[in-house]
Amino acid sequence: MAIDLKAVEQLATDQSSLKAAASLAKPAKWSGVGGSADGALIWGECAGSGANPYRVMADLRDLGNKCTCPSRKFPCKHVLGLLWLNAEAIVPFAPADTPAWVSDWLGRRRGTSAARPANVAPSGDAKDLRAARALEAEAAEDPKDAARREAQAAKRNEETERAILDALDALEQWIGDQLRLGLAGFIDDATARCRRIAARLVDGKAAVLAGRIDELPSRLLALEAGDRPRGAVVELGKLVLLARAFRATPRDAEIRRAVATSETRETVLADPQALRVDTQWEVLAEQVQTRRDGLVSQTTWLLNLAAAGPRFAMLLDFFPASAGRRGSVFTPGVRFRGELVFYPSQQPLRALLVRRDAAEETLTLEWPAPDEVFSDALTRPLLAEPWTIDIPLLLPQGRFARDDAGHAWWRSGDGTATLPVASNAEGLLCGTDLTRTAAIWSGNRLTILAAQTPWGRIGSHD
Amino acid sequence: MTDALIADAIYDAMGTVLTRWTMGSAAAPAASFWRAELGEDPAEAELRLLALSGQFLGIAVTAEPASTLRILPDIPTLALPTLPEALRPLARRILTAKKLAQGKTELVDFLAARGWTTHPADWMPEGGDDDAPDVYAPWRDWADIAASNNAAWQQTNDHINAGNWDDFWPAARKVALAELRRRDPSAARAVLEAKLGHEGADTRLRLLSLLSERLSDDDIAFLEAIVADDRAPKVKALAASLLARLGHGAGIGEDAAELAGFFSVKTKGILRRSRVIEAERPKTPAQWQCRKALLDGAGLASFAGALGITPQELIAAWDWNVDPAADTALINLIVATGTDAQVADAAKAIGEHDATGLIVALAPRLAPAERARQAEAAMNAHGIRFELTQAMAGPAARLNDPLAAPAGKALLAALRSDDAKPSDQVAELHALGLIASREGARRSLERLTAAGLLQGDPRLDMLRLNAALDDKGAKP
Repeated sequence: MAIDLKAVEQLATDQSSLKAAASLAKPAKWSGVGGSADGALIWGECAGSGANPYRVMADLRDLGNKCTCPSRKFPCKHVLGLLWLNAEAIVPFAPADTPAWVSDWLGRRRGTSAARPANVAPSGDAKDLRAARALEAEAAEDPKDAARREAQAAKRNEETERAILDALDALEQWIGDQLRLGLAGFIDDATARCRRIAARLVDGKAAVLAGRIDELPSRLLALEAGDRPRGAVVELGKLVLLARAFRATPRDAEIRRAVATSETRETVLADPQALRVDTQWEVLAEQVQTRRDGLVSQTTWLLNLAAAGPRFAMLLDFFPASAGRRGSVFTPGVRFRGELVFYPSQQPLRALLVRRDAAEETLTLEWPAPDEVFSDALTRPLLAEPWTIDIPLLLPQGRFARDDAGHAWWRSGDGTATLPVASNAEGLLCGTDLTRTAAIWSGNRLTILAAQTPWGRIGSHD
Repeated sequence: MTDALIADAIYDAMGTVLTRWTMGSAAAPAASFWRAELGEDPAEAELRLLALSGQFLGIAVTAEPASTLRILPDIPTLALPTLPEALRPLARRILTAKKLAQGKTELVDFLAARGWTTHPADWMPEGGDDDAPDVYAPWRDWADIAASNNAAWQQTNDHINAGNWDDFWPAARKVALAELRRRDPSAARAVLEAKLGHEGADTRLRLLSLLSERLSDDDIAFLEAIVADDRAPKVKALAASLLARLGHGAGIGEDAAELAGFFSVKTKGILRRSRVIEAERPKTPAQWQCRKALLDGAGLASFAGALGITPQELIAAWDWNVDPAADTALINLIVATGTDAQVADAAKAIGEHDATGLIVALAPRLAPAERARQAEAAMNAHGIRFELTQAMAGPAARLNDPLAAPAGKALLAALRSDDAKPSDQVAELHALGLIASREGARRSLERLTAAGLLQGDPRLDMLRLNAALDDKGAKP
């Protein structure tokens, strides 16, 4: 089934969509491109501005389409880009079995017949393919302009830093107040009090720290009532440490990332110092969380199957909750070879997907053995970044056990370690040996991502 | 002080520090070992102490289980292999799409009939899931053990007898007993005679129903004792119905005579005079009620006797499709109290008289192969839909070319029609996937994709699973 560029032009909502699509219609932006044997469906994964790629799919019979990006435009530039790739045969759309995520989308589609092309009403706005294709001539830069811009940026940076330092003063003042007023009162009224200081931090450009404090009450409430004063001390203590660390090195990218904002994708990609790891990865799990500040965080956890390099990678994206529910980007358990670039850090974890190779059949590596002594793995990351909340871990052989109240615990095979598990374990997870377990340790609870067992790999929600 | 002594001192002080902060008083005076680190300014000292204590409490103090921990036994391996890894995502999707337990049971039954089981991460039965195929009995017992507080696993491979009864968990026990009944009916009955009285009413009911397999005159004395002595009315009723199947029903009582009054035996034809039983139309709602109550409580033999004919004659002479309520009631009567031969007669009569919907009610008494055969015949002759065919056929069906039947032609026409929607015919396509043989599923997929459905269409999931799955089940 063939489409031509005319259809892409008609489908675009405006000229800027078309222009963006033109820049995406390049092989380097895409991976996993394929089509159904009958030529009706095409799909692909597009590297967008986030850490996770977007899954893009289209039905060529009626040009129905879907993309996992949060754009409000329909169709978005990624869909137009995929159609463009197809119309001009820029990359081969190899016939393949329809992936499950495409089938899932088909199952949810309703409305117009799948068998007849919908009438695409030509929109009134003039859209012009040629104009979209035209490359903007790069204006030669005036050295004076460049210098002026740099000076402006430096000034802005200084102002931001000043604002953050002021906000951190307010934060420490607030923490001191909580101690003076008593942690008992703080625990009872944590949500409102945290909201107030978080709002102050947002004004002071410490947005990431504000988000963290907004989530503090829910972490506290997840603890047993008797453990909450300890939990409050740990949480507030970490905030003091982070504030002090920022004062000491306000330009440190890693600390700034924990307080204010993260670098853009472009900055990380352009950074020659940034660690790049090209290896085989397994998708452990995806976590989607709606936060109190109205953002939804989407976290994909990857396990490095090779002997060397960072053991885990975390692809983290945020999008507004109002953009609606997004489909998954990865299927847990999938393995792929690909290149990741890590945000500069003493303990590289957060990363961006740079390139993902077409699926190979021969990815049958076992999970690696844990890299270090278990007790060290729990605490070592805190030496470098004592404010860290979540530590991904690869646990040695172990098994689930239950206490009298029905709460689940993970116990190591040698019996030396017993850790509380966040959720109630049911079914297979507590009825078999866990030869390897990938989990997140949050200082007081273990969240299981996936495990290897005699029954094969199991995910936490399987 | 050595490091260890300092650590102990810190640990000991933390209780006081936490208490002071909880109450809102200054805690630095309670941490004299850190005096140098905390400094002179009281407000600053509190913040520094907070940072240090937080780090210490976050690392050195982790939760300990309050009680001894219990480790559950391994989930046992089943007698049938788990689904091949490559097909698990497809099965998972079907399970997710089927919200109702009924839909899940259909898939689980289908897999068991083809010689496979689900992966325990995809689906496991609950302990009380009596509809799960027998092969899952060890998992049902495991679920019971997991739900209980202290039970330990006992697994025995022995044949069941009155002596080792208590070594079996309930689900495994029922399966072992069913197996014994198939092999040695008298031995199974003897075990029940010894043990049935100690079980609860629901369990008694389930175990007693196992006697319907290879039911014979040897069972009469035992069943009569249950009718006389059992405490639960439903267990008594089941025993009575089993007795009736052996021709030992109650005699023609007043009820049967009153019931017969609602029907009349007439003859028709002049040369070849044949009998026909006509239902007299009840005149008032009260009469309808009365007839229904009488039919619910009657036995086939006594009803026929009150009409002055044999049960076989009753089935042959019944006037089908005139009074649907009476038809249904008669079928229920036959299911509960008819002999195997009478059930077969009824199946034949239903097929001949185009009253195929009634087969579903009769199905539990038919052998799996017979069910499937009846369903296929009805599908071809009477144009019933795949959904009904599937309900009639149960998991044993393996139809080679279902799309050639009227239901298949109707389905293809509906899918091709101009106002077809992508969500149409979901149930029908799913049922088609359940009743087709592997080859039939392959052929159906070819024809459906040729008719315009996409290979990746999720409505075809069941067909795709069927076509990809090696059929290792016992063929009926």
